Amino acid sequence: MSLIAAEITKRFRDVTAVDNLTFSVQGGSLFGFLGPNGAGKTTTMRVVLGIIRPDEGQVTWNGTPFRRLGRGFFGYLPEERGLYPKMRVAEHLEFLGRIHGLDKRKAQIETERWIDRFDLGELRHKRIEELSKGNQQKVQTIGTMLHDPELLVLDEPFSGLDPVNTALLKEVLLESHKRGKTIIFSSHRMDQVEEICEDIVLIDRGRLVLHGNLRQIKRSMGRQILRISLEGNEDFWYKIPGMELLTSRADFQEFRLGEGVDPNYVLREAMQAGQVLRFELVEPSLDQIFVEKVGVGA
Amino acid sequence: MIPVLVKREFTSRVKGTAYIITTILGVLVFVGLSFLPPLIERFSASITPGQIDLVVYEQPGKSSIFPFLQQVSVERDGFTVRSGSDLDEREAYRMVLDEGLSGLLLVDGPLYTLVTADASNMMLNDEIENILNLAVSRHNAVRLGLSAEDVSSLFSPADFRIREVSPLGEDGEEVDSAAHAQAMVLAYFLLFMIYMALIMYGNMVASGVAEEKSSRIMEVMVSTVKPLELMLGKIIGVGSLGLLQFFIWIGTGLLMNTMGSSGALGMMLGISEPLSTIPLDTVLWFGLYFVLGYFLYASIFAAAGALVSRVEEVSQVVTIIMMLIMVGFFGAYISFLNPNSGFAVATSLIPFTSPMVMFSRIVLGSPSLMEVIASVLVLLVSVLVGAWISGKIYRIGILMYGKRLTLRQVLMLVRE
Repeated sequence: MSLIAAEITKRFRDVTAVDNLTFSVQGGSLFGFLGPNGAGKTTTMRVVLGIIRPDEGQVTWNGTPFRRLGRGFFGYLPEERGLYPKMRVAEHLEFLGRIHGLDKRKAQIETERWIDRFDLGELRHKRIEELSKGNQQKVQTIGTMLHDPELLVLDEPFSGLDPVNTALLKEVLLESHKRGKTIIFSSHRMDQVEEICEDIVLIDRGRLVLHGNLRQIKRSMGRQILRISLEGNEDFWYKIPGMELLTSRADFQEFRLGEGVDPNYVLREAMQAGQVLRFELVEPSLDQIFVEKVGVGA
Repeated sequence: MIPVLVKREFTSRVKGTAYIITTILGVLVFVGLSFLPPLIERFSASITPGQIDLVVYEQPGKSSIFPFLQQVSVERDGFTVRSGSDLDEREAYRMVLDEGLSGLLLVDGPLYTLVTADASNMMLNDEIENILNLAVSRHNAVRLGLSAEDVSSLFSPADFRIREVSPLGEDGEEVDSAAHAQAMVLAYFLLFMIYMALIMYGNMVASGVAEEKSSRIMEVMVSTVKPLELMLGKIIGVGSLGLLQFFIWIGTGLLMNTMGSSGALGMMLGISEPLSTIPLDTVLWFGLYFVLGYFLYASIFAAAGALVSRVEEVSQVVTIIMMLIMVGFFGAYISFLNPNSGFAVATSLIPFTSPMVMFSRIVLGSPSLMEVIASVLVLLVSVLVGAWISGKIYRIGILMYGKRLTLRQVLMLVRE
């Protein structure tokens, strides 16, 4: 079971938003879809969901073109949130259930279940426009899951949620994951992606930059990040060519080791400079990989 | 899927303040119309001159108009006349002002001058002129030696009838001109309904689409629903709202109609008979052209709504569509005068104007069966083609934000 996006290209007049992009998402995985602003994430998601047709390439699920999968197959939370402002919460959720293929009874039952779960009981008869942004987002997120879709595509699902609701949503997502549902989500918060996702794809300017299992990607980047904590001359590293200071924190300093710099040599130099409290070679964080690959801050 | 969309469209709007207010206003208009005749009576009574009092000042010697005016004053209530020839002209003026008379009539040969304190009362001036004309024509009749019968036969109108021959009925059928007048008022009324409905509900469709765009619900919708379904759901939803409103209004009219002889619809149509005399086929034709015209225009309005990002911009793009509708309305109005003119025949085939023009022609004239079939077919094909093209524009437009597309870009999109 897997989603395969093969050689997707989408142009808007003279701009190529997605350029010959190929990636696959293992069925049942939690998949992170990353890229800087304007990289073509939203366009790619729209192509995957069949909202817009690619100029070239196609997206399939187990060999079936996406357009032939039923309405109930997807749940989509776009980055630009939106609901019908005049409709009432329960009525709106029921409507979203219905357009995703639930019959009337099932839509009502699921609406009740999710309203309970997300503690929206008091707001049930309020109009959407009377709700806070956070609650509107809760309603819309529920709307994407009400019909228990096989594939959830969530664009920045946590932005705008308070910690309690973030935790609740995470719990719900992990639960669906356990039941074998596929979840693709995009976020600028690399720590969240790191926390949840197993596989990622990173795109920039419509092109593929990185793709694969997050752990393997990190490993393949090499243990080039060094954390040192030292009592003594902290500036000892100035004379070692190829060392680059990344961050200087109260508890440690973090360096990137250049090509051909021997960590053991650095350790010996550090020991001469003072008492070494910490010396650790670590994998780069997703944040660092992102910055390195894309060249701009996330 | 479409029923779910239609239902949402319908239920969320039917409870809306704007819809309820326009419906109630419409009902009030219909109820108000049934009270119109007594109101009009009162109103017109207040502006028609009640009492007319004239002083006539004549140069002596000539044959006098005064006896003829006196004769009219005997026949007519609320009109008195006296001679002021024995007075000085100045004194006569003063009398008009002091006694509040309607005026002083100065007679100088064939020239009659009304001297009055208030020259702006047109109704009064007209009335005095009528009286004077009557007196003058009698005066002239006497001078020419004509009898009273001669005079009345001189002014009696010809008995004019119209008979239309067709290849089928050789003698031709006599046209009932009263019925024709009724048909004309009826056609005008229904034409106006089509015109209003196209503009009102068309705009509702366009702003509905823009609303979905500006609230950004659109992206969720098109990820599950086909754009064409979404468009049809909106068009049918708004259309059924419109039908409900019309049923309520016409129902009110019927109710008022049966409640009194001064019925609303009867009054409006200028007929005293109840509405049931409206021929069934007229109603059916109305329904057909109403539905087809609505579908054609609503899909264009939907595409227009998809071209803008915000509701406030809707009015900019719908202007050109509204102008098309107005052209249709005036085309129909012109074809009232001659339903079988080349202009009327042409505009009854053009799909943008045919719902209004052809409908009027069917009610008023007798277009050939071929023309009717051709008009319906052209319209039907246009509805399908229009929905297809609009669907394309809609599909692309609904996810475009920011700058409005130019007409050329739209055409390029359609060709893609």
